[in-house]
Amino acid sequence: MDRLWWHFQQLLKIDAMNLVILVIVVLIGWTIISETIPNPARYLPSPLAVSLSSVDMLVKGLLPSYYSDTLVRLIIGSSIGLAAGIPFGLLLGLNKTVADMFHPMMNFFQSVSGIAIFPIVVIWWGNSDTTVLAVILYTSFFPIAFNVLSGVREIPIRYVNAARTMGASKYQIMKDVLFPGAMPHIATGSRLSIGFAWRAVIAGEMLAGRQGLGWMIFTGQDADRTAEVILGMVMIGLTWIILDHYLLRPIEADTIERWGLVQR
Amino acid sequence: MTTAVGNLSIAIQRRFGRQRLRKIILGSIPFAVMITIWHANTVFEWLPPVFIPPIGDVWEAIFFLQEDCAGFVALVMLDNSCLITTHVFSSIGRVILAAIVGLPLGIAFGILCGMSRTLSKFLEPVGVFANSISGIAWIPLAIVWFGVGWVTTLFIMLNTIFWLMFFNSMLGVRSVAKVYEESVLTMGGSRWDVIKQVYLPGAMPSIITGMRMSMGFGWRALIAAEMIGGDSGLGFMIFTSAAEFKIEEVFLGVIFISIIFMATDKYLLAPLEKWTVERWGLVWRPT
Amino acid sequence: MNSMTPKLVVEGLTHYYPDEYTGESVHALEDINLELYEGELVSVVGPSGCGKSTLLNILAGLLPYKIGTASVDGNVIHGPGPDRGVVFQEHAILPWRTVAKNIGHGLEIRKVPQAEREKRVQEFIDLVGLTGFEDKFPHELSGGMKQRCQVARTLCSDPVVMLMDEPFAAVDAQTRITLQEELNRIAMATHKTILFITHSVEEAAFLADRCLVFSARPGRLKEIVEIGIPREQRNWTNMNDNAIFIAARDRILASVREEVSIAVEE
Repeated sequence: MDRLWWHFQQLLKIDAMNLVILVIVVLIGWTIISETIPNPARYLPSPLAVSLSSVDMLVKGLLPSYYSDTLVRLIIGSSIGLAAGIPFGLLLGLNKTVADMFHPMMNFFQSVSGIAIFPIVVIWWGNSDTTVLAVILYTSFFPIAFNVLSGVREIPIRYVNAARTMGASKYQIMKDVLFPGAMPHIATGSRLSIGFAWRAVIAGEMLAGRQGLGWMIFTGQDADRTAEVILGMVMIGLTWIILDHYLLRPIEADTIERWGLVQR
Repeated sequence: MTTAVGNLSIAIQRRFGRQRLRKIILGSIPFAVMITIWHANTVFEWLPPVFIPPIGDVWEAIFFLQEDCAGFVALVMLDNSCLITTHVFSSIGRVILAAIVGLPLGIAFGILCGMSRTLSKFLEPVGVFANSISGIAWIPLAIVWFGVGWVTTLFIMLNTIFWLMFFNSMLGVRSVAKVYEESVLTMGGSRWDVIKQVYLPGAMPSIITGMRMSMGFGWRALIAAEMIGGDSGLGFMIFTSAAEFKIEEVFLGVIFISIIFMATDKYLLAPLEKWTVERWGLVWRPT
Repeated sequence: MNSMTPKLVVEGLTHYYPDEYTGESVHALEDINLELYEGELVSVVGPSGCGKSTLLNILAGLLPYKIGTASVDGNVIHGPGPDRGVVFQEHAILPWRTVAKNIGHGLEIRKVPQAEREKRVQEFIDLVGLTGFEDKFPHELSGGMKQRCQVARTLCSDPVVMLMDEPFAAVDAQTRITLQEELNRIAMATHKTILFITHSVEEAAFLADRCLVFSARPGRLKEIVEIGIPREQRNWTNMNDNAIFIAARDRILASVREEVSIAVEE
């Protein structure tokens, strides 16, 4: 018995094994709850029901299509947001007076959540893809631009002065001093922006979409197909974990390690 | 007269410092330009008033929405005739309620998990997963469970706050060096002493940062929840106004949301964070 | 050595700037006149706040001035330019560039071809004694090495005048002595025209051909002390016994102390 317990403890030390045990425990607990409550199909379908519905949606081809819709929206929206936001932040930071001038305004816009401006945008463009994209763009542009601007403002003035005394032009200062100096902020800001964009995609699809994961969980609730709602939630959670933990966080950590030498 | 103005400007400069005064003035220029352009749009109608309402209309919307309000008692009782105050108060009420319940709960569980390796082994992945189902994705399920209304919106905000708080407190406790714990224990301190004197102050900067973060995310999630699954609050107000194409009410709501959020962050959470990091920061950063 | 055309000329330079907090006008410099000839090392000393850093910033082109003129090689100074190299007080080498890339930065800005750039960079790395550290990042270097790197970066651009703003103030005493001897050697080897700002009287007397003493604010040129010691004889083992050095040092010290006491009384 003791030996068995020891083996069990050894198993616990392996992270993957932990995760498997955890998932099994959660699934069993979930099944038990689902079996005991009245009307589980409406309130909490069992894991089995959820996986059956996922098979169903896979066969119909709905799940892959919704999933790719959401991902494409995220990728397009956040890449445009980042591609515009990074140079914009750098340009504002080029001149100290301009930087001081726009800092409060950028701070204001990055704090106003994209979801809050959604009703305005929906009056402008109705329930359409443009509306969803506009909200995503808004939510990803301002956090990155604000972060880059803050990053540039934190670069010690002596670095800029040193480059100026060597005869560097505005463009060379931007390329050789401001851009690398703001690198850690660019990395952090990008992760923040993409995180906000991801939430905006889901919210936007719920409110004004025609397809996508957000649309799927919203209509699932409307049509009393709770299994689809839970399936969508699991997909949303898993996607963000993979994106954040295996792509964005490592990139951010590497960048800060490589370029974050500004802090003494 | 001119000397009076000059004296005043010198007094202001002495009080705030020339640099800060310069920043305040510079920083207000873009806002002034924005408002001017907004007003110019009303005059020249580049974009029709259905898309961009005149500033005057937005201002008048406050009084229009409050028109039927039957005095102070009705206002405090959240009477439905006092439209704007009812929505503002019900949003703020949910924020306060969620903060009172969610923050301590998250902190307590976070500290507990931070202390126990075995517990955190299991609960950390749960936390990661829960944080990844970014608040708003819970809205449809919450509607199924609780229907449209107060409970759903409160649940969404609580859920967002709790997991962020949980996670930050756990990481905060873990970053506290083991030596401090051991030193308290060797001096005959109890487990409770360790929590009170080592973990709580050690994790404080991380906890406060988590607080600021969770209120930010929570407030965003709340607005979304009110839009989709609420029957009151600023999010609900701007959403229904948009459906009726009353754009001046939408603008009013968005301005209220931004001001309330920014004021809380700037005058409550940010100073709190700065103060804690300065006060306890040394404990937190071992390097 | 002192050929007839000076490399750096300052005439009647007077400067005011607004105080950061009160906005009141501060009189920093009053009627500064000076000439630097080729190959000369001139140091500037004076009490804190006497405007010596202001003077350097004006010469570097980082601070606009209105009254008087300043020119290098006959060209009036309007903003920064590669004809003046600056070694800053704090480590102003870029933390995300390696030593070699930092030293070659000025040439890179002027779009010098890579092959030539690398050759010149190596030359100056060897000159300042950073051989073997080419691919290190600044945070891997000691304080003294960072300042060597700054000196090499400045020299590599081959400026007409090198301006140094208390470059050895932030390093420890041992390193400072070594760096002073190194700078003396480099000045000898490159024959550069150097303006050296410092608050250390010893350092000024050790390095300079001429030492300019500034008065307390507003900074005026109070006194010029000539130190006629050949560069070959300047090292710390000899200097402490050198009568010219001791006389010059005491003269400068007395002059500066007079100004400090005036500043304190005010």
